[in-house]
Amino acid sequence: MTTTRLTRYDRSMLRLMNDRRARPLYATAPRRRLVVGAHLALSAAIGALVAYSGLGAGEPVWPFVAVAVLLLPWMVATGAINAATRGLLELRERALDERQSAERSRVRARAHRATTLLLAAIAVVLLVAGAAGGKALTVYAAPVVVAVLAVHWLMPLWVAGLTVQDEPADSDGLTA
Amino acid sequence: MSEHVHNRLAVVRTERKVSRQHLAEAVGVHYQTIGYIERGQYNPSLDLALKIAKFFGLPVEALFSLEPFRPLTDEIYGRKTS
Repeated sequence: MTTTRLTRYDRSMLRLMNDRRARPLYATAPRRRLVVGAHLALSAAIGALVAYSGLGAGEPVWPFVAVAVLLLPWMVATGAINAATRGLLELRERALDERQSAERSRVRARAHRATTLLLAAIAVVLLVAGAAGGKALTVYAAPVVVAVLAVHWLMPLWVAGLTVQDEPADSDGLTA
Repeated sequence: MSEHVHNRLAVVRTERKVSRQHLAEAVGVHYQTIGYIERGQYNPSLDLALKIAKFFGLPVEALFSLEPFRPLTDEIYGRKTS
């Protein structure tokens, strides 16, 4: 992390991601797991509502109202995970130090493996359903592609939120 | 592949009354990184280890070692380890 090359945007993001006001939300590993779980559930609910509208099976307005309502807690959870990881995935590379850069690479590698496994499972299910004579391949293609995109986008955030370690305690009495 | 590098950073930092924040700003890292190094959860690069050693005005081997450090009192008072 070389502060001389940081832009005003980098510095403001750095301050934002190191803001500790919401610390009680993510101070311990069980709380972080809870926040990641809530984020996952909210993402799935939002995705399901969008897919429901996309398939033309629902009323035209209420799914969008429900999505708008769910987006608020979703954004709070996203912010909490980003704050817990100190902006590991949000900050630009130049705003990270060597440990954070290495951690970001580890998180992305794990997320890539997890997404690959998930995609493989989805592909198998769709192919089996297609081979069984159903219309799954054509009917669910669009929602599945959207879901895949969302998972591809959010998996690193979930992995980062689950793997972040507790803050080192400053046992020597000096200010951190 | 993760070789454990022992360090006595916490002892030296406390003895010099330097906060993690101050040390982190001086060597250009996040203050959590100093905590992770102290807890042995992160091995610094050679570049960072040299910067930390330079900050304290010590040779790098005074702070980092592949072998566990002897207690400082043993080194000062010359007690032999059994």
